[in-house]
Amino acid sequence: MCTGRVDPVIVAEAFKKGLDGLLVVGCHFGECNYVSGNFQAKAKLDMTRRLIKHVGVNEERLSFQQCSSGEGALFAEIVGKFSKTIRELGPIGGDGDRVKAPEIFKKLEAAEAVLAGEKIRWVIGKRTPFIESGNMYGEVFTEHEFNRAIDMIIVEEIEVQEILGKLKEGAQSVKDLAKALSIPSERVFRNITALKRKGMIKLEKVSGRTPIFQLVPQEV
Amino acid sequence: MLDVGRHPNIELLAYSEVENVEGEAGDFKVTVRRKTRYVEEDKCTGCGACAEKCPTVVPDAFNEGLGDRRAIYSYFAQGIPSTHTIDPDHCRQLNGKKCGICAKTCQAEAINFDKEDRIVELNVGAIIVAAGYDVFDPGRIPEYRYNEIPNVVTAIEFERLLSASGPTGGHMDRPSDRAVVAEIEALEKKVRKSQKALDKLEEKFNEPSAAFYKKFQAGQYQDDEDRQKWADKYAAHLAVIEPLEELKKKAAGFTVAKRLAFIQCVGSRDFRFYPFCSGYCCMHSIKEAMIAHEHEPETTSSIFGMDIRAVGKGFEEYKIRGGNNSNITYVRGRVAEITEGPNNNPIVTYEDTRERKVKSQEFDMVVLATACAPIKGIAALAKTVGVELDKYNFIKTSSLSPVDTTTPGIFVCGCAESPMDVPESVAQASSAAERAAEIAFQPELEKEKAVA
Amino acid sequence: MPDKKEDIRIGVFLCHCGSNIAGYLNMEELEEFSKKLPHVTFVQRNLYSCSEGGINEIKKGIKEQNLNRVVVASCTPRTHEPLFRSSCGEAGLNPYLFEMVNIRDQCSWVHMQEKEDGTTKAKDLIRMGVAKAALLEPQEPIMSEVQIRALVIGGGIAGMTATLAFANRGYEVVLVEKEEALGGMLNHLSKLGPTMTDASALAEEKVRAVTGHSKITVFTKAKVTLVQGFIGKYKVDIETESGNKNIDIGVIVVATGGRAFVPEGLYGYDGKRVITQLELEVLLKNGLASAIKNVVMIQCVGSRNEERPYCSRICCQTAVKNAMLIREQNPDAKVSILYRDMQMYGVENEEMFRDSKVKRVRYINYDPANPPEVEPDNVRVYHALLGRDMDLAADLVVLSTPIVAQDDANVVSQLLRVPIDENGFFMEGHVKLKPLDFATSGIFLCGSARFPANIREAVAQGLGAASRASIPLAKGSVVVEPIISVLANEDACRGCGLCVALCPYGALEIQNTEKGRKVHVIDVACKGCGVCAATCYQHALSINSFTDKQIEAQVEAFLN
Repeated sequence: MCTGRVDPVIVAEAFKKGLDGLLVVGCHFGECNYVSGNFQAKAKLDMTRRLIKHVGVNEERLSFQQCSSGEGALFAEIVGKFSKTIRELGPIGGDGDRVKAPEIFKKLEAAEAVLAGEKIRWVIGKRTPFIESGNMYGEVFTEHEFNRAIDMIIVEEIEVQEILGKLKEGAQSVKDLAKALSIPSERVFRNITALKRKGMIKLEKVSGRTPIFQLVPQEV
Repeated sequence: MLDVGRHPNIELLAYSEVENVEGEAGDFKVTVRRKTRYVEEDKCTGCGACAEKCPTVVPDAFNEGLGDRRAIYSYFAQGIPSTHTIDPDHCRQLNGKKCGICAKTCQAEAINFDKEDRIVELNVGAIIVAAGYDVFDPGRIPEYRYNEIPNVVTAIEFERLLSASGPTGGHMDRPSDRAVVAEIEALEKKVRKSQKALDKLEEKFNEPSAAFYKKFQAGQYQDDEDRQKWADKYAAHLAVIEPLEELKKKAAGFTVAKRLAFIQCVGSRDFRFYPFCSGYCCMHSIKEAMIAHEHEPETTSSIFGMDIRAVGKGFEEYKIRGGNNSNITYVRGRVAEITEGPNNNPIVTYEDTRERKVKSQEFDMVVLATACAPIKGIAALAKTVGVELDKYNFIKTSSLSPVDTTTPGIFVCGCAESPMDVPESVAQASSAAERAAEIAFQPELEKEKAVA
Repeated sequence: MPDKKEDIRIGVFLCHCGSNIAGYLNMEELEEFSKKLPHVTFVQRNLYSCSEGGINEIKKGIKEQNLNRVVVASCTPRTHEPLFRSSCGEAGLNPYLFEMVNIRDQCSWVHMQEKEDGTTKAKDLIRMGVAKAALLEPQEPIMSEVQIRALVIGGGIAGMTATLAFANRGYEVVLVEKEEALGGMLNHLSKLGPTMTDASALAEEKVRAVTGHSKITVFTKAKVTLVQGFIGKYKVDIETESGNKNIDIGVIVVATGGRAFVPEGLYGYDGKRVITQLELEVLLKNGLASAIKNVVMIQCVGSRNEERPYCSRICCQTAVKNAMLIREQNPDAKVSILYRDMQMYGVENEEMFRDSKVKRVRYINYDPANPPEVEPDNVRVYHALLGRDMDLAADLVVLSTPIVAQDDANVVSQLLRVPIDENGFFMEGHVKLKPLDFATSGIFLCGSARFPANIREAVAQGLGAASRASIPLAKGSVVVEPIISVLANEDACRGCGLCVALCPYGALEIQNTEKGRKVHVIDVACKGCGVCAATCYQHALSINSFTDKQIEAQVEAFLN
């Protein structure tokens, strides 16, 4: 078992259930007992940090550190520092975070759905080839470009999840969704179109001249 | 290590010595002395409760004497077997004094002061010698003043200082500074003790010591015997306080070592000692300099060497990375002398062969990349086992059969054969295992032939 | 399966570890606490759970209390899990229905001064362990037969040494060489340093031994075209002069070697007056023309530069050796070696280096920023240590070029699904600890295919790789712990291959099944790291004993 097993979904789920801090300690690079699992862990957790930050959780609540089994003092230092950080931040959704409880848990639910979703998992899984040998068009990304791409995907995916979440409560118009979620209406519209194409939502009715959308029940 | 301890086909005889070898390839009889640990290995759970209670403090050989351990100890934290050992040279009980605290502490009842050495006879098909190497004693090089200047250390000592589980917890505290800190601690202990005695006297006479002492020095109480004692005690107390304050002032200015010098070929490529190249030391120094820089980003290192031999896979790249990212300067030249400057700072005098100038430079600490020397008992071991040595006292092999000794059925790997780094040692260990297996597990067919 | 939950009977054994745990934690409190946890039907405290007495209590618990899950809260699984597992097995309980909780190393030892907090933390840990134990499933060790036959790719000195080592152990070996003859680089060399062994004689001796051995099958002018399967069960296609062969193989050794870099366009290289060390070897082999009186060698030609940053390890020793051979053949020849660092590591090389100085080989240090220039009759060099330019007469200029990877290294890499590094050399499983293994089980590595190696190193590595590869052959089977990846939800898998690309062990492959493209776990190759399960966006893969459900249960237990 390796830090590479740490599935971001479980991370988001733990925060959603009230976890205040998560410290993942893996091997030093080049010393991984499982060859490269720690690189995978770092990539996934870096991305997860970006995502929880985006939904309003203080990203210091999630940390990836490296330490070997022979470095007891270093381990103690890492754990001590992290405990201090978390103690100072206080419980999740409190003063330490941009978004407060209970809204933060709703946001984390969207985050969890994003992390379980195809898009972000696919991109993060392809991180090494994207950075080292390029995508299918031969474009090689720098670390910075890759992270910017990740950020863009996070914004979009969270919006999609929030729209779906909102629609679970009942059919709504683009305008109402935009207002409720504080997302610009043109972006809501774009997402709605995409979701419609995927068959995840459909037009319920047109109220006056405003189309109202509703969820299409999905098979699990 | 863990794998060795756990493998069903491996019988581990640690803390043991080979006393005699007879026979030939395929059928050796080996006599092994299993030195007593005074601890029953099968009972000891390695919990360490005994070492916590043991009253005898001994310098710790594992930490190159830079830290200390107790008379009952486990060699190091992750050691296999995880059992403890009593050091018979220092144990109070074994030296006729009253103690036995460990035996009382041990709930597993593993301590046995009467346990004696055991002789074990083994019948084996092949033998592999992997006796390793010794660190060259740089005290033999007078101009480097290893024994005189505290802040000149060997690469292995420096390794312990860098280690998070080492005596400084990974901080590059200088040995001279650590000595001062240790002295402060000792003096503080003394002060606490004398303060306690003074407190009692102050209470008894209902007067602060300082006020009393003033009066005493002015000539009062000359005939009062009790007060005479008080005065002596207070004088002794002051005699400790003053140097203590001095030392504390000094210690307040201590920082970790930030300017490091690494000196290559200490004892190797040197006709006075070992003419050969030890192979791994250049990379070891680069690695240590890089880790030091990781610990403390302000660290700068100078590596003094004739050639920087970065010949392994990825080594040259590593060396360049060290120069670019870890403030390492490679200086081509041999160091002539190390002297001690102000603040216990070692001063390195060397010839910069590229600029053709003799230069001196002050450092916080100097690390000596010492030669890989044959182990001290190698001649005796070679004689016992029955193999020849080369002219440097490494076990003799040849290029085309790199792990075969001069005696069939006996093989060698690692630095007992010649200096080498970790990947080479690992590869060679497999080679030796292969050669040994060819003898020990001969195919059935050939065995029949041998019988016929 | 909710109805089954009623049947789960967990036994919790709390180890005092002498006073290591009991001295710092409130054991009575832990006992009472454990009794109240879901599914726990039996709790017992032991002085040492790992002692014979402690183990017997666990076995007794399993038998008398009908326990079907065991949790031991004690020290570290690193040292003690195998013992407890096998003890459960001895008492008739599947060993994988055991869960270990470490309440010592990071609990009682750390919180010696905080009994209450330490005890609370131990409760958390035990609750988590019990929550996971309830969801544990029995597992069986995975065993797979091994075909007792090795394949060695490459018939140079490393490959031939490995081949002979296998054969000497009594194993069948197939040796595949792409050239017409065995011998590899040896065929082009004169004498080998530092012993000055005749290369041809050595090659001949080895070739004779290899071709004469009944256990060895040699294919020359042949190449491996397809490798399917996994450790113990490879099916290898070999294209030979006598047609294609398909052979069952158990283990594979890569010994494809390297080749000398040809310095086109550097220092006026023309293969006549300006040649490489390899070309010099041929001249030395045939006897050097007596007209050659002044030789200049230049080190690091095409290496230790931006394009090829590595040091090729063996060129310095080759140059020194050849310099001495020149002096031997033409005693009045002057030989100068222009170098950056003389990489004469070790005992033998340094000795040869010193000998060469006695034999009046001249060494001149040059600065790569100010490299030597080859002129029609001489070589002009700035002597970095004397600080002045020098002109050296040169009838022959010898360039020391690095060993570079074989042109087809990437082909072999793809065939075997093993990685190569940025310089084209094969990448071992671990730079320090597994120099001769690939991360993928069943495939091994030796010689200059890994990194430039001299004769001593190539022989040692050949033996070493054979030694490593002989382990599964000697056992006749591979047994692995069942804590590995499984395709838990076959329908969900889309056969996208994302996990295949990320698996460090080559343990996943895509297969065409009746249900379409699906991933297949090669169980004997999987080490259970879990990267695939954490990556799969269809959540189709899972890890035995570390399933999402089990981890989630632990998280939940922690938070409650």
